[in-house]
Amino acid sequence: MKLNACLVTSLLLSQILLFSSRDALIAQPAANSQAPKKQIKVAGKVTDTKGAPLAGVSVQVKGGKVVAVTSDDGSFAAAAEEGNILQFSSQGYGIYESPVKDGGYLVKLDIDSKSLDDVIVVGYGTQKKRAVTGSVASVGYDQFKDRAYSNVAQSLEGAIAGVNISSSQGAPGFGPTIKIRGTSSITAGTTPLFVVDGVALENFDLNQINPQDIQSVDILKDAASSAIYGSRGANGVIIITTRLGKAGKAMVNVTYEHGISKVNRKVDMMDAQQWIKYYIDARNNAWVLLDPVNNKASDDNTKRSTVSGAKNYMIPPDFISNPGQFGKGSDWQDVMFKTAHSNNMMVSMSGGTDRTNYLFSVGYLDQDAVLMNNFYKRLSIRTNIRQKISEKVTAGLNLALTGTHDRTDGTTGKSDVVSLGIQSDPIFPEYNENGNIGFLDPNSAWSRFQTYGVQLWNPHSLVTYADKLNKNMNTLANGYLEYKPINELTIRGSLSGNLTNNAYNWYWVSGQGYGYSSVLPAQATARNLSAFNWQAEATAAYDKTFGDHKIGVIIGYSAQKQRFDSSTINAASFPNDLVRTVNAAGVVTKPAAGNGAGEWSLLSMLGRVSYGYKNKYFLNATLRRDGSSRFGANTQWGTFPSVSGAWLISDEGFMQNSKAITNLKLRVSYGQTGNNLIPNYGSVSLLSGSRYVNGSNVVNGLRPISIANPNLKWEKTDQYNIGIDVALFKNRVNITADAYKSLTKDMLLNVPVPAYTGFTSQLTNIGEMENKGIELTISTKNLVKKSFNWSTDFNISLNRNKVLQLGPNNTPIDIDEWGRFVTEVGQPVSNYYGYKFNGVYNNQAQVDNSVHYLGAAPGDPIIQDLNGDKVISTKDMTILGNSQPDFTAGITNTVSYKGFEFSFMLQGIFGYEIWNQQTRFSKFWNDSRNSYASSANYWKSEQEPGDGKTFKPYATFPSTALGKGAFITGYSDYWMEDGSFVRIKNVRLSYVIPQALVKKTPVKNARIYMNAENLHVFSKYVGFDPQNSTYSVGTSSSPGANGGASTTPPGLMLGADYGSYPIPFMLTVGIKCDF
Amino acid sequence: MMKHLNIKTLALAGFLVLAAAGCKKSFLELAPVSNANVNAVFKTKQDFELSVNNAYSTLYTIYAPKGSMSFVGELMSDNVTVSTLAISGAFTIVDQQAFRDYSIATNNTGVYIFWVDHFTSLYQVNIVLDKIAGADLEDSYKKGVVAEMKFLRALYYFNLVRMFGDLPLVTTPIVGEEAYAMKRSPKEEVYKLIVSDLKEAAADLAEVGAEPAKGRATKGAAKSLLGKVYLTMGDKANAATVLKEVVESNKYDLLPDFQSLWGNTSANKNTKESIFEIQYLGGAANPYSQYWSAFAPFENFAITKYGGGMNMVTDDLFNEYEATDTRKDISFYTGYTKNGTFVPIKFNKKWVDLTAPLDGGAEACNNNFMVLRYADVLLMLSEATGDAQYLNKVRARVGLPLFGTAGYPSAYPTLDLAIEHERRMELALEFHRWFDLKRTNRAVPVLMAKGKPVTEAKLLLPVPQFALNQNPNLQPQNPGY
Repeated sequence: MKLNACLVTSLLLSQILLFSSRDALIAQPAANSQAPKKQIKVAGKVTDTKGAPLAGVSVQVKGGKVVAVTSDDGSFAAAAEEGNILQFSSQGYGIYESPVKDGGYLVKLDIDSKSLDDVIVVGYGTQKKRAVTGSVASVGYDQFKDRAYSNVAQSLEGAIAGVNISSSQGAPGFGPTIKIRGTSSITAGTTPLFVVDGVALENFDLNQINPQDIQSVDILKDAASSAIYGSRGANGVIIITTRLGKAGKAMVNVTYEHGISKVNRKVDMMDAQQWIKYYIDARNNAWVLLDPVNNKASDDNTKRSTVSGAKNYMIPPDFISNPGQFGKGSDWQDVMFKTAHSNNMMVSMSGGTDRTNYLFSVGYLDQDAVLMNNFYKRLSIRTNIRQKISEKVTAGLNLALTGTHDRTDGTTGKSDVVSLGIQSDPIFPEYNENGNIGFLDPNSAWSRFQTYGVQLWNPHSLVTYADKLNKNMNTLANGYLEYKPINELTIRGSLSGNLTNNAYNWYWVSGQGYGYSSVLPAQATARNLSAFNWQAEATAAYDKTFGDHKIGVIIGYSAQKQRFDSSTINAASFPNDLVRTVNAAGVVTKPAAGNGAGEWSLLSMLGRVSYGYKNKYFLNATLRRDGSSRFGANTQWGTFPSVSGAWLISDEGFMQNSKAITNLKLRVSYGQTGNNLIPNYGSVSLLSGSRYVNGSNVVNGLRPISIANPNLKWEKTDQYNIGIDVALFKNRVNITADAYKSLTKDMLLNVPVPAYTGFTSQLTNIGEMENKGIELTISTKNLVKKSFNWSTDFNISLNRNKVLQLGPNNTPIDIDEWGRFVTEVGQPVSNYYGYKFNGVYNNQAQVDNSVHYLGAAPGDPIIQDLNGDKVISTKDMTILGNSQPDFTAGITNTVSYKGFEFSFMLQGIFGYEIWNQQTRFSKFWNDSRNSYASSANYWKSEQEPGDGKTFKPYATFPSTALGKGAFITGYSDYWMEDGSFVRIKNVRLSYVIPQALVKKTPVKNARIYMNAENLHVFSKYVGFDPQNSTYSVGTSSSPGANGGASTTPPGLMLGADYGSYPIPFMLTVGIKCDF
Repeated sequence: MMKHLNIKTLALAGFLVLAAAGCKKSFLELAPVSNANVNAVFKTKQDFELSVNNAYSTLYTIYAPKGSMSFVGELMSDNVTVSTLAISGAFTIVDQQAFRDYSIATNNTGVYIFWVDHFTSLYQVNIVLDKIAGADLEDSYKKGVVAEMKFLRALYYFNLVRMFGDLPLVTTPIVGEEAYAMKRSPKEEVYKLIVSDLKEAAADLAEVGAEPAKGRATKGAAKSLLGKVYLTMGDKANAATVLKEVVESNKYDLLPDFQSLWGNTSANKNTKESIFEIQYLGGAANPYSQYWSAFAPFENFAITKYGGGMNMVTDDLFNEYEATDTRKDISFYTGYTKNGTFVPIKFNKKWVDLTAPLDGGAEACNNNFMVLRYADVLLMLSEATGDAQYLNKVRARVGLPLFGTAGYPSAYPTLDLAIEHERRMELALEFHRWFDLKRTNRAVPVLMAKGKPVTEAKLLLPVPQFALNQNPNLQPQNPGY
């Protein structure tokens, strides 16, 4: 509280100071005023280089106010003073300057000059592209305007070199994983920092911003660019700038989109006939294995029922006498997935005067998911206002309210509906004869299968027989005051707040219609989360040009604090299903973790000096000092410097005559950034409750659960970047290439410590990791004709990641969770580990002639004796693969002809592996679950060896063969698959309705478009999508009141798929009209 | 004008910097909201009450039905086997069965878990001892707490030294360099600490009935444990002295009926026979016991919701009971009925709780667990003194012929063999058998005769490979691994 008061006071005082000086300042022009100059009427027309009229170009007196905005035919009329200079500018085009003269103008704005004079948003300011010294990717509204995603990041997937955006699950509203320049952390998060209109937000959900409200997305990739965000810059920074109207007539824009999505890449599972055969063979194989001397595959159930664990050996009589009655059975994916529709309606109004700019925007998205009963709805309301109070003082407020309401199932992998649904046995119908959904229904003829160990999780049991609602409200407000005492100096103060509320309610209907694996009583969960984050910032920026020298300085001070509160209640013992909220429950329990509150705070000072000489030599230096409550008492403050320079070689005399090269720029940078995504209270030794019983009373205890580490601090990344920008043949070819190398030190690890310290691990800054990579972007204008244009944008990037140090003894981090994910020195993070399978033994001679494990028999997998010790043991496990790709690429071709524009985008990721955890259920026999159709090619006999890769199924391994079972079902390359793919990512077609047709209507411009996402994936992956990953990067400091360390570091299981949500095909048609 | 401006600007900037400097200290020092932290506790008597309760709660881990004492005390002996088929986490069935089969690898997950369980529990004890020394509290209270903590410390080190031999001997919380420099102390030094802790505890602890609450350590508990420690050290004279003190205190007695030691009612808890007993309370919201469900046949889905399959009784144990020994039927079930069919399998009946409410998939049982009881003391006293009268008290209770009388089974001609037999019958499934066989140097001959592949080297567990890797100063590994 004390600090809040402190800051508010300081902000108020600073504003009083500003205003108190305002009167004096406003008087200033009057003191300097001279006799008014002659007013001249000017008029003209603005076109692009091809002569097409440009609407909405602002005409401004240089250093003064906007005097006109061009109309639809590009014409304008205004009055100006003699001696003034007029500036014509429009987003995406260059600026044209002309002294005021009477009569007609014909101003051609050159779209090609964009590359150097465009304004790029950088941390705490903007720079002309010419002066940018770091590595920044800037994406304007035009590049995502027609895309159908609710999250702008998804529209950028595959389009930006060095920025790996990956939709790991296809549920609507499910945010993609974003990694900039590789993995730079193991324990702290790898999510970049988001800066929305100047407000820095950690772990921000970009769904909270309607993409239609976004003017530009600027991604700070290198450390020199992101160092001004100090301890939060190491994962890169994504700056979102929202739109603001231009001076001139109000523009009303109305957009309506309708979308259809469906799963067009299903997982090929066994049908009922294949599965029954598989079932019978698995049971017979196990039966014979149990007692090879006495048991025969032909033995009947009477004999099989006598042994212990008989349910693993018995076979339903129907399967043998009349398997045909089941036909092909149910395709559970057809039950789960449907064609889904979506509607998206957006209305915005923007405009302004020379003193006021505004944007009002409302959007409503109603999107059905391809998974039954699932949906995502979003209402977004935004108002951005910027008002010039006087010539010196400007104030503004951006206020956005976003409410989402969704039901999302199937994204948590194992035990969620998608994973379970595909494992359900195909023999069962969607509904039984009683209208129930399962064979556990005692009154159904299907209940005869209860004795035989079959599996059914009817998708309805988790979706139709469960209520699940998730509501989220997000308010982001940012108010600012700018004061320009002199032209060169801008002082800015801002105060912003971000309030998030989330309510989640789940209720599972009693009995689940008999469709779940067991008949469970009703259960419910109610969860509430709220988070409030405020940021107060003050900056002063000074820009001055002296002859050939241009100097810019900015200094600033920032304070930010967040608090979150959460509570979860689990409930059971409901009398019936009439009341489905937790108050009706007989038993209410709080879970061990998840209730509580947490806080963090950050204080920062920052500065940047920019120097340009002759507009061709540029130098930037930044410095930030961050103090964070998360850091230990001995290490509370950190300093993060950067320097960078650029040389516009093409502006040198010796290059002036080059015909081919129109622009050549060299950039070099170094920066140091931090990653503060460490637990809020990781430096403090925390206590948690424990309990004992004193005779007959439960008494409380208090237990230390973590070791104090007063030296805990941010992870530190040093990065070098060298880049080159080339424009050839009058900007027909633009190339940007960057190479970087970064070293992350003091990497936070949960270091194992000797148990006799009382703990098994301690959060320590100890690891080191290296990333190096190359990024290349090539944009070409292949054809530039008056009415026909063809351009190509291509990007490719590669990153190599290597761990250099781990813990005191470099002990590998070995995670065993349905896969072995091993992080060790000298290797990229999180390799997959296991045996190498070398096909299937086809006969006994092959077994006898090889080094084999005990009990290996024909039909069992051949395991390679990799260490050559003539014994198959866990020592033969080796590195099998990794989820990090060799390289990623994207290519977009855009063709326009008259009002038509067609674009086609391919995306590819190459040289990585998927750890398919679903293998455990669907690739080999596991307790009667259904399996992939490809697994039907298993070894049946020497004459029928199958595909030579799929070993024969055993319904169980009797205790005498457990060792053999451990080898067969252990982790091996059988679990791993090549992930490489090429995706037809996006196809778009749009058409601008000719002016002639809309002339008589109130519509000024109209455009219709069609957008298709994810048309096809070329991939061998057996699961839904090679980009599926069940585990997200997460962050150790994200929700969870308990500041203790998590056991599985976030991100170490990336690339593992445990039955993820398919990524659907989506076709959208839309119409956009301007009024 | 310019000057005026700059002054204003400077004033503003200066003010902000001052404001920042003035605010920064408190702004960045945020104490955890939802967790207490160490800096704030270990001051008042109430703080220490909570810490003492916590120290006792570590008993739940050490004596858990699938914890270290169960795996070592029973599964390594000839009493039980494990029928768990579920592969649960890293502690796989292969690793579990390795205890039964003496095929424990140095990277066996169970070994590491048991090592960690004991040492992290010792920390919870040591930190109380460490913090109470400097606490501003009355001496008598401090003395009592110290005695209780030393009892627990001795108990855990006694478990550890019997499992692992030489040990890193940690008596205060240690961190960093100190932890990595730690070496293993010879087991003689470990026993020295155990004896001195127990002597101090025995002197300062309250007599049973005067202890702060049921379940807390008492003078009798410390002396009984000390007796067992002496016996294990081979010091029968001292064992006899201290165990006799327990008997002569007249605070304890055998219950007239063996049956009344077992069950789920409060009458079965903290009886006159009980010397040190872990306290549980049935009910889903309570710290309940799980011996019943864990020791039930694996996935029986009939007698318990699931069934853990741990400590399934061997025929060898079952058949050793004399024909008229009523303890057999009180201690074991011989099967259960499912869907009208009887499934034959022998398993625990001592910790039976047929009316336990469910907590999810587990029975929330009300049974306590006795670490030390009077029958154990009597049998130890016979062992220490060579006097059969104490053994015969135990037999007399269940109406069996006394040692030295005509009806006594001829299979156990010597007192040593009679004690061995009686301990197995009386204390079956109570985590004693393996340690009894080890203490009497009978493990190898007895178990070998039954075809179990045990050797002298396997009498100790390996030091977990992970711990050796972490701190190479713990080398060498126990011989035979």
